[in-house]
Amino acid sequence: MEDNRDVEAGENPFQPYLDALRKELEHQDPIFIIGIIISLAVVVISFVLLKYFLSSKTVQSAVLLVGLCDSGKTLLFSRLLSGKFKKTQTSITDSSAPYKAKNEKGSSWTLIDLPGHDSLRPQYVEKFKSAARAIVFVVDSAIFQKEVRDVAEFLYFLLTDSAVSRNVPYLIVACNKQDITMAKSAKLIQQQLEKEMNTLRVTRSAALGTQDGSAGSSVYLGKKGKDFEFSQLPMKVEFLECSARGSKGENGQADIGSLEKSLANL
Amino acid sequence: MLDFFTIFSKGGIVLWCFQGTGVTESFTGPVNALIRSVILQERSGNNSYSHDALSLKYKLDNEFELVFVVGFQKILTLTYVDKFIDDVQLHFRDRYKNELEQKGALALLNSHFAFEDDFKMLLREAEESSKARGPTSMRSFNASLKSQKTVKSMIETKGGDKGKEQGGKKNKNAKKEGKEKAAEGRTAHNNLLKWSDWNGIRHIEITYLMYLILFPSTPAAEPVKGEKAKAPTSAQKTEENGNQGLTQEEIIQKKREEFIRKRMGAPVEKPSKSPKPVKEKPKGKEKRVWTLGGSSTKELDYSQSNGNGAHAAGDQGLDAQADPGDLLAVDYDVLFKMFLSPKKGAFGGMFGMLKGLVGSKSLSQEDMEPVLDKMRDHLIAKNVAAEIASQLCDSVAKKLEGKVMGTFTTVASTVKGALQDSLVQILQPKRRVDILRDVLEARSQRRPFVITFCGVNGVGKSTNLAKISFWLIENGFTVLIAACDTFRAGAVEQLRTHQRRLNSLHPPQDHGGRPIVQLYEKGYGKDAAGIAMEAIAYARNQAFDVVLVDTAGRMQDNTPLMTALAKLIAVNMPDLVLFVGEALVGNEAVDQLVKFNQALADHSMSDKPRLIDGIVLTKFDTIDDKVGAAISMTYITGQPIVFVGTGQTYNDLRSLNARAVVGALMKA
Repeated sequence: MEDNRDVEAGENPFQPYLDALRKELEHQDPIFIIGIIISLAVVVISFVLLKYFLSSKTVQSAVLLVGLCDSGKTLLFSRLLSGKFKKTQTSITDSSAPYKAKNEKGSSWTLIDLPGHDSLRPQYVEKFKSAARAIVFVVDSAIFQKEVRDVAEFLYFLLTDSAVSRNVPYLIVACNKQDITMAKSAKLIQQQLEKEMNTLRVTRSAALGTQDGSAGSSVYLGKKGKDFEFSQLPMKVEFLECSARGSKGENGQADIGSLEKSLANL
Repeated sequence: MLDFFTIFSKGGIVLWCFQGTGVTESFTGPVNALIRSVILQERSGNNSYSHDALSLKYKLDNEFELVFVVGFQKILTLTYVDKFIDDVQLHFRDRYKNELEQKGALALLNSHFAFEDDFKMLLREAEESSKARGPTSMRSFNASLKSQKTVKSMIETKGGDKGKEQGGKKNKNAKKEGKEKAAEGRTAHNNLLKWSDWNGIRHIEITYLMYLILFPSTPAAEPVKGEKAKAPTSAQKTEENGNQGLTQEEIIQKKREEFIRKRMGAPVEKPSKSPKPVKEKPKGKEKRVWTLGGSSTKELDYSQSNGNGAHAAGDQGLDAQADPGDLLAVDYDVLFKMFLSPKKGAFGGMFGMLKGLVGSKSLSQEDMEPVLDKMRDHLIAKNVAAEIASQLCDSVAKKLEGKVMGTFTTVASTVKGALQDSLVQILQPKRRVDILRDVLEARSQRRPFVITFCGVNGVGKSTNLAKISFWLIENGFTVLIAACDTFRAGAVEQLRTHQRRLNSLHPPQDHGGRPIVQLYEKGYGKDAAGIAMEAIAYARNQAFDVVLVDTAGRMQDNTPLMTALAKLIAVNMPDLVLFVGEALVGNEAVDQLVKFNQALADHSMSDKPRLIDGIVLTKFDTIDDKVGAAISMTYITGQPIVFVGTGQTYNDLRSLNARAVVGALMKA
C-alpha cells in the first residue's frame, strides 16, 4: 500500500492531467481520434516526401557541356540533339534539352549547355555542378597553344571543386574543331594539359586567401611528389577528337561519332 | 540600308538572320562584341553600340529569352530603326508563339523560322514611313530672297546699332516670305547662308548668327506669338535703320506718322520686321508651372473636416466610411501601403496582394520602378557611385522587362535576385588572374615580369607594393623594387626600409648568397620613366624574376603629371599596370579611373594603348560592409580586382571573393 502511495505520489503531478486527457479521449468518438492520427501521419509523410523531392535535385541526371568561350559548345549541343548546323552567338544563359543516347537501352538524360564567357562561367557551374553525371569539357584544338593556361585553369577549377570531387562524374575532354588543319591532336592536348596542371598545383595552392577568410578548396590533384597525370584522378577521364562543324562545312555531317559513342557508354 | 538583322536565343542559337545586299562580312564578330561589352558588362541601359564602322541596336525579349540585333553603317542616321525593332519583335513573337513557349531548346533547334517575307514587309513599311518628308529642294536664285534685296540695303553704315539694315519696300515682301518659310520649318538661318556670298555684309551675318544662337527660338518657333510683339519693335528698329538714309524733315514726317498710328492703335501695316530685333521687348516674367503642383490649396488642408488626407487617392472611398478620429489597425494600414496601387479600388487591394503572389504575370517597368528605386538608394548608401548605381538599375530593368515570374515570387525578390546576379557577374574577372603563373611564364622566357603601381596620393601604393613583394618572395621569386617616386620626400627611404625588413625575414643565406629583394633608386628629382627603364634593364641583366615599379601619387586632374605617368607606361610597356584605389573612395572613384584611363590612352603613341589592367583595393579593413567602391571600380574599367589590402602588415593581402562582397552589399 505504501508502495502504491509512493508510486501514486510520484505520478501525482501528471496523473490528474493524464486522467483528464484519457477521460476526454474516451468521451470522444473513436473515429475522431482516428481522424486526428491519420492527419498527423499525413503531415509527417508529406514532410518526408517534400524533403526527398527537394533533395532529389541533386540526383545526377545531367551531362554538362563546358569549356572556354568560342570553343564550340553550342554548335555541339545543336549537333548532338538535332544533327543540324545552326549559326551561334555567344551564349548568355544555359540551354538544356533531353537527349536520347544511341545505345541499346535508349537511356535519356538531360544535356545542358553552359555559357563559356569568363564572367558567367563560375555561377553557372556552381548551379549545375551537383547535378552532373558527366562533364564534357570542350577544347578549341586550333588555338589551344595560345589558350593553354586558360584551359588548364578552368579544368583545374572544375576538378578541385568540392562537389565534383565528391560526385566523381565521368569527364570527357572533347578536342573540338578538328576540321581546321592546325588543330592539335588529343594526345598532344593531354600532354600539354598535364604539364600545365602540374604547375598550377603549385601556384594555386600558393594563391592568396580571400578577404573574408574563406580558404580555397583543399583538394590536391594527383599524387604528391609525382608529376600530374590524368590517370591519377579518382574519376574516369577520356580524351577524344571531334568536329562540330564537320569536314564538309555547314551542310555536311558533324564528325562527332566518338563523342556519341562515349556518351552512349554512360 | 540595313547591314544585317539577327534574332537569336539567349542560349546562343541563331533563329533567323538577314544580311543586306552587298554585305559580305559575317556579322558574328560584331554581335559577339556587342554581347560581351554591353550585355555581359551590365551596360544595357542604352540600347545602341558602335563597333568599328557599324552601329548596332538591340532589344532583349525577356519573356522568351530572345535577343534582336540590327546593324547598319555608323555614318547613316536611320530614324526608323528603334520603332522597326519593336515592330519586328512583336511580329515575331506573335507568329512563333507556340514554338517559343515550349521549354527547352529542342523546339528552337528543330523549327525553321521562315520570317523573310514578314521582315521584308515590315522593313518596307518602316522605310516608307521615314521617307514621308523628303528633303526640300533648294530654291533657285530668282525665287530666293536675295534677288529681291537692293544692294544699298545690305551696305552697312556706321551707327550706334549694328543691326541689319532692311530699308525699302522690298523688305516687306521679303520678310513676309521669310516668316512663312520659317513657319514651314525652315529656319531663317538658311536665309542668312545665301547672303554670305556678299562680302560686304559679313559683319551683318555674324551678328545675325550670334542673335540666332542666343535666341534660337524667336524667328521660327513663335511666328504667331512674336508677331504682334515684334511688330512695333521691329517697325521701330527698321525705322531707325531706315532713318539714316533720309533727311531731317523726312525724319520728322515719319515720326509724326508713327505717333498718329500709335494713337490710333491700328494694326501695323508695315511689317518690315528685321528677323533680328536685337533689343527685343522682354516678355515679362511668365508664371512658373510646376507639373506636380496642384491648382488650389484646398488639397493641402489636412484638418479633420477633410478626412485623413495622408492616404493614397485610391482609398478615399474607404476613408469616408471609417471614422476619421479612429486609428486604423497597424497591419491593415501596412498592407494597404504595401500592396495597394492607386489604380485599384479598396477591396481590389486585398485581392491584388494575393494576385501578385500567385499566378504568372509579366514584369513591367511600373512594377519594377519602386523596387529599383529602393535598390538604387540602398546601393548608394553602400558607397557605390551614384551614376554607376543608376546605370546598374537601368540595366537590370532592361533585363527583366517582360519576364514572366513564377508562382510565389514577388517583384521585389525577382529584382533582388537579378541585381545580385549582375553584381556577381560584374565582379567576376573577365580574364584569368594568376600572377604567379604569369611570373613563371616570364621566367621561362628569361625576362622580368614588370608590375607598375599608379594611383592618386595617399592610397597605399608603397605599402601594398611591400606586401606584394613579401608574397612573391614567400613563393621563391627574386624581386627588384624600382623607386620611381622621385617627388615625395622620404619615398626612397620608405622603400629602403621595406627592403631591409624583407631581407631580414628571408636572409640571403637561404637563397644562395644573393639578397632576395633589391632596391633600384636614383635619388630625388630625376625622370621617373628613365629610372624605370634602367631598372628593367638591370633586372634583365641580373635575372630578377619580378620588377615592382612604384610611382608618385598624382591627382587625376594634374595634366603634366598624368602625361609623365603615361609616358612611363608607354615607354616601358609593363606586363601589368595596377591602379591602386582605396575602398573609402565614393563617387571620386569614377572620376579617377576615367581620367587615368583617358590619360593613358591619349598619350600613348601606339594604336593599342596600355590601359589599366587590374585594380588593387586598399584599406578594405576600414569599411565594414560599405563595399560599393569595388563595384564602381570594376564597372568603370571592366578590369578585375587583383589584390585586396586589409591592413598594414605584410600578411594583410588577400584576393577578392565576389560572392562575399555581393552578400555584404545586398545585406540590409
